[in-house]
Amino acid sequence: MSQQAIVQPAPGKPAKHRSLGANIFLQAAGAGEFRIGAVIFVGVILLSIIAPTLLGLSATKFNVGLKFSPPFPVEGWVWPHFFGTDQLGRDLLVRSLIGLRNALMIGIASVIGMFVIGSAIGMVAGYVGGWTNLILMRITDAQMSIPVIILAITILGVTRPTPLTVILVFILAGWPGYARIARSATMSERRKEYVRAAKILGATDLRVLLVHIAPNILPPVAFVAVLDVARMMIFEAILGFIGIGIQPPTPTFGTIIADGTKYLLNAWWITTIPGLLLAVSLCSINLMGGALERSRNKILQGVS
Amino acid sequence: MLFAIDFFTRRLAQGAIIVVAIALLIFTLLRVVPGDPVRLMLGPMVSATVAEETAKELGLRDPIIVQFGRYIGQVLQGDFGRSFVRSAQGGSTGGSRGESTFDASNRAPVIDLIATTLPYSLLLAGLAFLISLAVALPLGIWAGLNAGKWPDRLALYLSSILVSLPNVWLGLVFIFLISAKAGWLPAIGYQNWTYAILPALVLAVELIPVIVRSVSVSVSSNLLEPYVSVGQIRGLTRRRMIIAHVLRNSSIPLLNLLGIQAVGLVLGALFVVEYLFNYPGIGLLMINAVFQRDFPIIQAIAIFSCAALVVVNILVDFASTTIDRRLQY
Repeated sequence: MSQQAIVQPAPGKPAKHRSLGANIFLQAAGAGEFRIGAVIFVGVILLSIIAPTLLGLSATKFNVGLKFSPPFPVEGWVWPHFFGTDQLGRDLLVRSLIGLRNALMIGIASVIGMFVIGSAIGMVAGYVGGWTNLILMRITDAQMSIPVIILAITILGVTRPTPLTVILVFILAGWPGYARIARSATMSERRKEYVRAAKILGATDLRVLLVHIAPNILPPVAFVAVLDVARMMIFEAILGFIGIGIQPPTPTFGTIIADGTKYLLNAWWITTIPGLLLAVSLCSINLMGGALERSRNKILQGVS
Repeated sequence: MLFAIDFFTRRLAQGAIIVVAIALLIFTLLRVVPGDPVRLMLGPMVSATVAEETAKELGLRDPIIVQFGRYIGQVLQGDFGRSFVRSAQGGSTGGSRGESTFDASNRAPVIDLIATTLPYSLLLAGLAFLISLAVALPLGIWAGLNAGKWPDRLALYLSSILVSLPNVWLGLVFIFLISAKAGWLPAIGYQNWTYAILPALVLAVELIPVIVRSVSVSVSSNLLEPYVSVGQIRGLTRRRMIIAHVLRNSSIPLLNLLGIQAVGLVLGALFVVEYLFNYPGIGLLMINAVFQRDFPIIQAIAIFSCAALVVVNILVDFASTTIDRRLQY
């Protein structure tokens, strides 16, 4: 229980000084797993920014003379190809770092999209109530009963996948979850005094929603969305693996892993090492997201 | 009893509406995207008039809503249509072999294709659930009973790591290490039930963190409820309190989780894992159908998996209300 002791505001100190979001973040930042996750995450990001230029390597340049060079500790590895090279002699370290950038970009963009759209729809449904609420919530019910993968392979399998369509499919699949959370939070806020006070003072509905309700309900949701970034990155890798994600020559984890399956027995590193980098990055995101989620639960249950 | 009848009629009616809505969505999506299935059935060498005739014969040129109405009518009679490309003898007739091999009556009924692949998928899913519950339940309960201490931390870090392993990558690593290098288990295809173990392990790794988290949170929050100390004050042992009351009360969120999250998760991951291991289940059928634009198969599987989720949800809600009568659905 020492974790709680550090982060709970000391008695006497005014607890309401900081915003809800800042409280959650500070409490999470005190947790050990958040720090571990943050260190790994920053390290991987720095690596993906610096390493390609520092090593002077390209992600798409062929070098057939150097093909199937094994990764670092294995005998026969060639400087500076720490992760080895693939069947065309492309450097796997740089390829996976670029793939990581792409995956992160898609993950973050799609989560922001589903967060914005889902929260907007959910808040309107919860605030207006009545028929709007009923219809919107039945739509989310329906959508939540299709697994993301089915929706994604149905749409992407029959259209031409580009980064934009991949992001759009993720948003389409992910918004109902956010809509539900935002709706139930808005419904409980709607009757509170500050909302009524704002209305009596003449605030329009839009103003009440955006200026008064949103800052209270959205930060907790936004923190949990961090976990979804990791989920979307996994989905992106899966789509790339099946061959309906972002298309080559842009390196993504999915295509790198799929390329390597043909050479799994001779050149095991093509598949495994980039995947390991993906797993480590995802783990760092999940550790941070998990810490944020737990501190949110603690604060929301403790305060309200 | 009356409650049960009322509950099921209400929920089944809602569920049916949801399934029809999903069917309409998938149906429309498949028809508005570019790509003509007739071309895939007959191959590129067929003249435009023949292609057009076949399309008309199959009803592919009618307005979408007419096609959908006809389709739903057939589905209600248990007829999910016939595959566009697979022949009844197995193997696919699509591609470049020309019109001579194409015969509308010789194509495999979708319902048969699903019936032959479904048992494999059920075996795989069942095995995955067994493995994950066997690992996750003890770990989750142990972590929940020791909230904040090292078992809790262990469960936390373990599930953070497991949830970060992409299933495609993990599957390949398993194939490489366990099957190719060590030779302990077979991996590709299906000959007997041992072929299901490796894919089931991959699915289980995906399920375990979700179950562990939910069980440990549920158990630890139930331990803080007043009824635990009241029971102990009244002379029940802690062991009896935990086994008879805490675990029972913790099972409601677990049921919810198993129903909604876990079944959804397995349904989604099944497709990828079966594709990866070339396991002849419903997921492989679906992915191949997507590549071949075999619309009837895609529609039928989407409807089936959605209906399965809806039914599981209803059953879970019913079970929860039977355990805890205060819950209202």
